[in-house]
Amino acid sequence: MGAFDPVQTFEKGTYIETDTGNKVSRKATILGATNIILGGKSIIQTRAVIRGDLRRSAPGQHVVISMGRYCLVGEGAVLRPPGKIYKGAFTFYPVRIADFVHIGADAIVEAASIGHGVEIGAGAIVGKFCIIKDLVQILPDSVLPDGAIVPSMTVWGGNPARMLSSLPETYQETIEERCKSYYQRFRAV
Amino acid sequence: MQSVLYHCAHLEEPRAPLPPSYPSSFADFAPLNHLYFCEECDAIRCDDCVAIEVASYYCPNCLFDVPGANVRADKSRCARSCFSCPECSSCLNVLASEQASDSSRAATASGTSATHSSSAPYLLSCPACKWSSKEIGWKFDKPTSLASQLSQVYSAPEDVQAEFDALKDHLEGYISQSAPPPTAGKGSGHHRTPSRHIAQITQAAARALRREVPGMGGPRTGAAARRKAGEKSDNRAGWDQLAPYEAKDSWKEEGLQRGVDDVDTMRKLTGEEVAPIEKRWTSAWEPPRMSSETMPQRIPLQAKLTKRCPHPTCRHILIQPDTKTVRMLIKMVGGNYLPAIELGRRRRRLVDEALDGLTEEELERRRRERRRTRINLAREEDEDMTEPLHPGEVYTFQLAFTNPLYDPVQVRLGAAHQPRGPVQPSHHIFTPTAHFTVGPLKDAWAYDEEDEDDNVEDDAGTGGAAGHGGDSVSERAKARMSLAGLPSSRHRGREAEVEKRGNVTKVGLEVEVLPGASGPVEFDLEIRFTYRADDAEGGAGPAEGPGEAAVTGSGKDAKEEYKTFTFWTRDIRDMDAAVAVDGQPGLGLLTQRVWTSTRPNGAPPPGGIELAGPADMQKGGQAERDGA
Ligand SMILES: [Zn+2]
Ligand SMILES: [Zn+2]
Ligand SMILES: [Zn+2]
Ligand SMILES: [Zn+2]
Repeated sequence: MGAFDPVQTFEKGTYIETDTGNKVSRKATILGATNIILGGKSIIQTRAVIRGDLRRSAPGQHVVISMGRYCLVGEGAVLRPPGKIYKGAFTFYPVRIADFVHIGADAIVEAASIGHGVEIGAGAIVGKFCIIKDLVQILPDSVLPDGAIVPSMTVWGGNPARMLSSLPETYQETIEERCKSYYQRFRAV
Repeated sequence: MQSVLYHCAHLEEPRAPLPPSYPSSFADFAPLNHLYFCEECDAIRCDDCVAIEVASYYCPNCLFDVPGANVRADKSRCARSCFSCPECSSCLNVLASEQASDSSRAATASGTSATHSSSAPYLLSCPACKWSSKEIGWKFDKPTSLASQLSQVYSAPEDVQAEFDALKDHLEGYISQSAPPPTAGKGSGHHRTPSRHIAQITQAAARALRREVPGMGGPRTGAAARRKAGEKSDNRAGWDQLAPYEAKDSWKEEGLQRGVDDVDTMRKLTGEEVAPIEKRWTSAWEPPRMSSETMPQRIPLQAKLTKRCPHPTCRHILIQPDTKTVRMLIKMVGGNYLPAIELGRRRRRLVDEALDGLTEEELERRRRERRRTRINLAREEDEDMTEPLHPGEVYTFQLAFTNPLYDPVQVRLGAAHQPRGPVQPSHHIFTPTAHFTVGPLKDAWAYDEEDEDDNVEDDAGTGGAAGHGGDSVSERAKARMSLAGLPSSRHRGREAEVEKRGNVTKVGLEVEVLPGASGPVEFDLEIRFTYRADDAEGGAGPAEGPGEAAVTGSGKDAKEEYKTFTFWTRDIRDMDAAVAVDGQPGLGLLTQRVWTSTRPNGAPPPGGIELAGPADMQKGGQAERDGA
């Protein structure tokens, strides 16, 4: 699989590589970096925006965004925690993202949690407090309404997004391999 | 890019599919990641042929597992609080009504206790289009179990309920005498049971009839029903003597009234108020005509499926989901058995003269010449895979084979043997390397070490696959020798075109699009791969000795596979205007389908594969092989 996938190159020095193998573009906007946890071997591309600064209003240290291994925040994608009024005060809630999650270019994600092996297509919008379970495909340019719950092994698309079909039983291997392969092909010139 | 499709022969004897010029042939193809593999039958299975059982039901919105016993009573929809929006089908949220939230805010401001009826009544609200159940007057006292609250408050209209009861009584009389339910207290021996099959059906129907139907009144297990059953059983009517049911009310009158109303409505129509067709056919009773009449629907349940081999004597489980997690307890999928095939690296051959106006013989002569001298003739230009192909051009591609097995496999490409299609093929296909090996799957670290040293030697051996892929021991032995890397002089000059890395081997594929061709280019390729069978069948097991065991693998190791390569061009005028792909969004110009079938143990190989076949594509390759 992926025998002909081309190498994705970036200019040397435009990405910072961390000890755990994360590759983070210098041109990505990462706010509140201390509130963000990356699991390793994840990629944050140019123009991506990650809002770790939108933290819970309660005092103390809070993890705002946690992301697993082999994830991708594509070019221009926006990842921000969801917020709402609770007991009369507006507050943000943390985002949990598991392993093997690809967020496509220019997607906007305000989900509460994203499971293992999830592909969010380019230009898709994932509304506030969405819960995306393991092994899900969100098609490009679809719009998930706020609070939507997306069960495992399903494909969603459209505006507003609906369940369109189910994924084949082989999907876990497919997406894991694709995410690993993408990470390995993404390297400096 | 899952563009190559594989063939499933379903329950038939594996055979070459009909050529791609028969549109019906496409139905038997699926991408590799959608296929299953039954080890017992040694056969590919697909979603069209596997037997399916429901392992568990769940609601896709609240993710609650629904016990199978409740599913029918719940009409296969979530019986908790999950509703879909009548306008946009999104899942509705339960919200406290505005007045209530206002008043509770006022309450907290004035310092009174917040326990005061927190914020009832509750409404359903759509997060996507902002539709609210206020529009149809639905309100709920508590934010949970909305479905049961609803069935109490908003049940079916009087006349519908009466009709339903009458129909139920009618059917109950019939069912109770052919298969009395246990509550009737009679042994089934008193009654005529036409067959076990019918009895099962009627029993199931009896159970269904006694079940509570949401929106309708409670089940009539009272005296009336029992009396009826008693009367009928005396008559001992035959099981198939069901009297026709007469409706209590004429629906004609009602329909007429509705018709008059509809005419009135239509006079005032401005456009958007008519319910869209998908809203109308999803509601079973009286479909809403106007969008203001569409109601929220309970969310349909989803099911996890167990899939079995469809073969009547096999029935092995191919897919067994875990009801609690996304894991599969049993997962027999095609990708674990068959090499994955991909197509890539397209190049166009640069030629000086146009092919237009040449006769068939001239074209054939040029073709042979080109193949003889192809090593020298390296003038090729890389092209994008998504660009349209042009008639009269010769393209080369690479076919990549990825081995999923922990043993090397030997692959043999050939033309598919199939009847000539109704349409002449618009192209010629040539595979310069018909035999090659694909390395074993290993852990990632093992590849790095091996890459430096052994590829050269390995390549030299790839041409030696002289075996017919047949079942004789000597053939197998030969095949195994070449797997071990014995050099062979045959086809040696061609090996330069084989690219190997780890468990991936890439070989060339030549596509000549004939001048004047239009439409898709599709072809079938038979791929036979030989691998070591660990578990020999029956008595010829490995127990006979290690040396024997290696070669007695039975017929398990012979597979044929048919591949279809497809691309679209249009007629010549359109072709220069490039991208004539409007009709195929997302497909680009190249779609391939690979069709795979396996051969059962001991079956002879399909006749004449090594001989010149009827397909045009075969001729070139065969002539080449003969000449070598
Ligand atoms: Zn099938
Ligand atoms: Zn079977
Ligand atoms: Zn539900
Ligand atoms: Zn809606």
